[in-house]
Amino acid sequence: MIKVTDISKIYNAGRPNEFTAVNRVSLTVNLGEVTVLKGPSGSGKTTLLGILGCMVRPTSGRIILSDREITSLPERFLTEIRRETYGFIFQQFNLIKGLTALENVMIPAYPTGEKYTALRSRALETLALFNLAHKAAAKIEWLSGGEAQRVAIARALINNPAIIIADEPTAHLDTKLSHEFMAFIKQLKEDGKTILIASHDPIVYESELMTSRIEMRDGCVIRAGSPA
Amino acid sequence: MMYRRSTLFGAMLGANFLVLALLFIHAGFRQIADVSQLVRKAVLVRKLGLSDLCLFTEASYTAISPWLICAPRSRSTPWLSSISPAALWQCRPFISRNPMPHTIEKQRHIIDFTLASLLRRKGKNGALFTVYTLIVFILASVMFFTHALKQEASLVLKDAPEIIVQRTLQGRYTPIPETYAAKIREIRGVTAVRARVWGYYYDPVFLANYTIMAPETFTHEPGSIAIGSGISRMRRAYEGDTISFTGANGKTRNFTITTVLPEGSQLVSSDLILMAEADYREFSGLPVGLASDLTLKVRNPKEFATIAEKIVRLLPDTRPIIRNEILRTYDAVFSWRGGLLIIIMSAAVLAFVIFAWDKASGLSTEEKKEIGILKAVGWETSDILFMKFWEGIAISLTSFLTGTILAYGHVFFTSASLFVPVLKGWSVLYPEFRLTPFINPGHIATLFFLTVVPYTLTTIIPSWRAATIDPDSVLRS
Repeated sequence: MIKVTDISKIYNAGRPNEFTAVNRVSLTVNLGEVTVLKGPSGSGKTTLLGILGCMVRPTSGRIILSDREITSLPERFLTEIRRETYGFIFQQFNLIKGLTALENVMIPAYPTGEKYTALRSRALETLALFNLAHKAAAKIEWLSGGEAQRVAIARALINNPAIIIADEPTAHLDTKLSHEFMAFIKQLKEDGKTILIASHDPIVYESELMTSRIEMRDGCVIRAGSPA
Repeated sequence: MMYRRSTLFGAMLGANFLVLALLFIHAGFRQIADVSQLVRKAVLVRKLGLSDLCLFTEASYTAISPWLICAPRSRSTPWLSSISPAALWQCRPFISRNPMPHTIEKQRHIIDFTLASLLRRKGKNGALFTVYTLIVFILASVMFFTHALKQEASLVLKDAPEIIVQRTLQGRYTPIPETYAAKIREIRGVTAVRARVWGYYYDPVFLANYTIMAPETFTHEPGSIAIGSGISRMRRAYEGDTISFTGANGKTRNFTITTVLPEGSQLVSSDLILMAEADYREFSGLPVGLASDLTLKVRNPKEFATIAEKIVRLLPDTRPIIRNEILRTYDAVFSWRGGLLIIIMSAAVLAFVIFAWDKASGLSTEEKKEIGILKAVGWETSDILFMKFWEGIAISLTSFLTGTILAYGHVFFTSASLFVPVLKGWSVLYPEFRLTPFINPGHIATLFFLTVVPYTLTTIIPSWRAATIDPDSVLRS
């Protein structure tokens, strides 16, 4: 369970360009659920996703992960939690150009010091799950949009995280690829992963896979709960 | 078969270190093997009473510098001289999946990633490597060359006369009366005094300056000479040939070459012509009773300075030059020559520093974004800094090793062929000698700290700020 209480995030505090991205939000995400954060651009869903994923430190409030408070942990431990517990899928995939698909998938596991042969075979297996084993040696820039997206998902799964976080994952995909992405989400849900998605794409937030919907506007949660 | 980049990199560094180690072993063997050659040169120096090497006695020097005229082979003037344990325990469930990270494997992963990153910018990094290697090559060449030459000079000249006495008139060098020898011999501590008869001969055809000596040990027939291999090579004159020089009276005089001095002694004999004293006096116009200078044997080295003082008191128109001053001058001259080359090179070095600084410190937007991605997917700040550290090491250590190895080959296998005119300071008669590889480990360490350490620090320090950025920058980009 991830629980945030009275969370706020203020950027550039005390400066003329001070901006409140998330304003006193409290919510609970249950493990094994698929939760979607919905709202227009600038509503604070990406920031809230970052806070839930230990990427953004809140200005105030508390974060509890599996009954343990992690709000004030030093960066080093947050990094470790991020690496071991979360898998991230970014809006623009954020794959590293010039490297092969296989290398990109292996990157999150490098700091673990896992033996190369074991890591490599695990990365190849993960790519094979997405029918990309034949593209393992291909450089990222040679891949199509759909292939790059699958590599990004494979990278998110390499450390076998319990929670998957996806920020606007279908923003750069056509309808077919968006549906393909949702099929992968279904698969992950069946595997027991907790999934958090920020999106304003109807293909995502109207999907029957969603077990919880959180609607945001101006940094505040305006509606939260199970789909009707 | 696929090899990891870190394996190949390690193998390459290992091979470089191995080559360097083999070169050091080679240097050791060469030093042992060259002992006999050094001894031969030292014997020649002792036998002929030489006090200088065949370097720097250019014709132009004699024409320009009166100081060099008065002290032709013994320039003694010093030219240059918070986290609580409870909180830690709280996070254990999250980090227990991998409680014992394999540090070496982790570093190898980081090296793999770093090398892959470097290979993405082959052109830029290749250019950086090439320029860096060239800089190290030049600096190392200068260091190897000057150190080896200084060592050789000190070994070869260790048996040179302890003190040389010249006579000066109006502050300029002038022949010395042989009667001075008897007066100096009476000073306590002086065991022997020898009058040297020698001078320069400028060859206008070949624009070269020769040194002519008339040693007592030269017992060949009148009209015979022995020449240095440098002169032999330049004038294509060999044993049995006749060679002519124009004497002080303007008349041409023929000499028969009876000996060409051995190649191995070129450093001391390349420009040398030996002839009988009577021949030399007739040829040069040096009157009987006058000598070029006097050489002294003094048993106790602690008395050199005292004896020099006594000579000046006894014969105020003389100038004694102590052997150590000659050696010190060599030290200064070679250091100065090396410094001169480095100053000339400084423009190139500066351009390299600017280039390297820009490359190492100027993180591009793309690089900053990559750091954000790495942090977002679980890389720690220390991992990013390690990555930058390995990046600096990959470029600088490889360049350092390659440059040093190339410099060794250049100096000790090709006799510093690229820098000869600057470092040897000879205009026409290059002594073709092979230097014995004397290597000062301190110089290698200095070069390492002047090249590898600054570059690596330059790579790491600017990355510090980028490495501490919040990973959410990736989300917001």
